[in-house]
Amino acid sequence: MDIAVETKALRRVYRSRRQEVVALDGIDLQVRRGERFGVLGPNGAGKTTLIKILVTLLLPSSGEAFVDGLDVIRQFREVRHRIAMVSGGENVGFGMLKVREQLWMFSQFYGMPSAQVRRHIAELLERLGLSEAADRRVSALSSGMRQKMNLIRGLITNPRILFLDEPTVALDVGAARDVRDEVRRWMAEDPSRTVILTTHYMMEADELCDRVAIVNRGRIVAQGTPAELKQQVQQDAIVDLQLSPGNRLLDALRAVDGVAAASVSEQDGIDRFSLHLSSDAALSGVMRVVEGSGRQIRGVQKREPTLEDAFVKLVGRGMAEEEQA
Amino acid sequence: MSEAIAQWRGFKAATRLGWKISSNWTQPLIFVIYSVLRPLSAAFILVIMYRVISGGAPGTGAYLAFLVSGVAFWSFVQYGFAGLSNGIVEDRGEYKMLKYVYTSPAHFYVYLLGRGLAQLASAAASAVIVLVVATVALRLPIHPLGVNYPLLLSASFLALLAVIGMAMAYGLLLLQAVDAHGYGELGSGVLYVISGAIFPITVLPGVLATLASLSPLVYWMELIRRSLLGSQAIRMFPALSDGDVMLRLVVTTVATLLLAHLVFTWADRQARRKGLIDMESNW
Ligand SMILES: Nc1ncnc2c1ncn2[C@@H]1O[C@H](COP(=O)(O)OP(=O)(O)OP(=O)(O)O)[C@@H](O)[C@H]1O
Ligand SMILES: [Mg+2]
Repeated sequence: MDIAVETKALRRVYRSRRQEVVALDGIDLQVRRGERFGVLGPNGAGKTTLIKILVTLLLPSSGEAFVDGLDVIRQFREVRHRIAMVSGGENVGFGMLKVREQLWMFSQFYGMPSAQVRRHIAELLERLGLSEAADRRVSALSSGMRQKMNLIRGLITNPRILFLDEPTVALDVGAARDVRDEVRRWMAEDPSRTVILTTHYMMEADELCDRVAIVNRGRIVAQGTPAELKQQVQQDAIVDLQLSPGNRLLDALRAVDGVAAASVSEQDGIDRFSLHLSSDAALSGVMRVVEGSGRQIRGVQKREPTLEDAFVKLVGRGMAEEEQA
Repeated sequence: MSEAIAQWRGFKAATRLGWKISSNWTQPLIFVIYSVLRPLSAAFILVIMYRVISGGAPGTGAYLAFLVSGVAFWSFVQYGFAGLSNGIVEDRGEYKMLKYVYTSPAHFYVYLLGRGLAQLASAAASAVIVLVVATVALRLPIHPLGVNYPLLLSASFLALLAVIGMAMAYGLLLLQAVDAHGYGELGSGVLYVISGAIFPITVLPGVLATLASLSPLVYWMELIRRSLLGSQAIRMFPALSDGDVMLRLVVTTVATLLLAHLVFTWADRQARRKGLIDMESNW
């Protein structure tokens, strides 16, 4: 098996005067060449920390990491020839440069021949709908356009392994789709390419990734193909319960016998609970709790498990909740 | 070989980037104000103060030449040093691109040198302009045909290397600071005092004088004055021949470069250890 990225007992602790944060707590990971690998986890799970270590920005506190067979600690120069990184959700760029010029400049930092790269840049700008902006200054771009430009910066340098840290965060639906399409296209162009991306969006991981690792509090709690992960919740009955707003109910629901996991999100003034029931019989217990709460039932559905459900079961709570916490 | 070509491409692009960044605000007018008028006015203030204090005593002209050549070349160090060392924190704080440059195969030294080159060049231009203007205005005893150019240029080349080395190491150290504004100027300010730019280092208190005698900039200043003014130059090291001063310049420059490399490597490691390259700073 050809391994593109490997980590062994990777650990990273951030120390400040006041406290210690364990961002990664023993990550063992193997990403195969040619894979689109997703790292999924709530805020603060350690996703960005993992990426930073792999792209030689940050040293681990202990453990090892290899990119394309090279040690990221000792062989960091060689590693840099083979990678590119793109982070989403940040407004970055040399504002005074034209878009085309900034992209060209980065290709030069990778020592690429100019003529060939210019054609490639034009092509990518076209595909991501930035042709018109090519001669505008970077500072004049909207943040979504900058994010697309940032992706192009990562792609033109022809990395063997591309690291994307939340590439579609804060993009509108259309732009996010453009980005995902481009990543898929780029991967299809050359089967030896590998991409590792982090995301909050279950749908994105489900749609884009061959394999996913779910990370929580610096540990991998599960990994496999999206289908395999969904398999883990296949036996559970997933019930969606829409209730009118009211007092906190989540803990009471989790305490009901036969409720394996529960999460909640709010939508249009209605609380949407997702319940994993280990047997259908648990539903009567749930209903008793709901009646006792005085909330009104707006809807109940039983449905197929999604990757999100797998996440809820493994992590014990929904991603949205973690964000609010 | 292909690696050398790749680095050369990176260097050219970085040079262009530095030029674009500095020409963004270095419109000709601003260049004149910052790089010419500021050092000129600094020189004239010193000159006037000195004239008032000395009352036009004999030897004033020679000291004025000492002063002016010091200030002119000082402005080179100041802008070159500050430009080079501030570039790193600018890339991190203002443009937030440092992490992308840093994780590229372009060697960090190569990138930083290219990035600072435009500023070094305009600093050199400002030094020459200040010197010419002051020479004419104050009728200093500097004659274009009498200047020892080989000495001037070789000494300046060595000093340039030392300044670049110090600025890069200092710039990387600046990554440690959350508030990195103005430290570039602070660093060059410290060098100013111990470089013999406005007064001979012998007037400094003991420790500083010793420190100054280890800095290549002092010997550079001495050689500049000797090459520009010949026998008229006020000498900080009357006991040393030109060759001896040059030897000291070479030795201190080599030592400075070695030290700078050590500091750079240490600070680079520290930056990776602490995650400073993409740290949110108060820009
Ligand atoms: N420079 C730092 N200093 C101290 N603590 C840090 C630093 N960077 C990250 N952390 C902490 O390490 C943990 C992991 O952070 P990390 O940014 O890797 O999470 P993440 O999974 O990328 O989160 P998000 O989804 O919000 O981007 C968090 O608890 C965070 O507060
Ligand atoms: Mg993150």
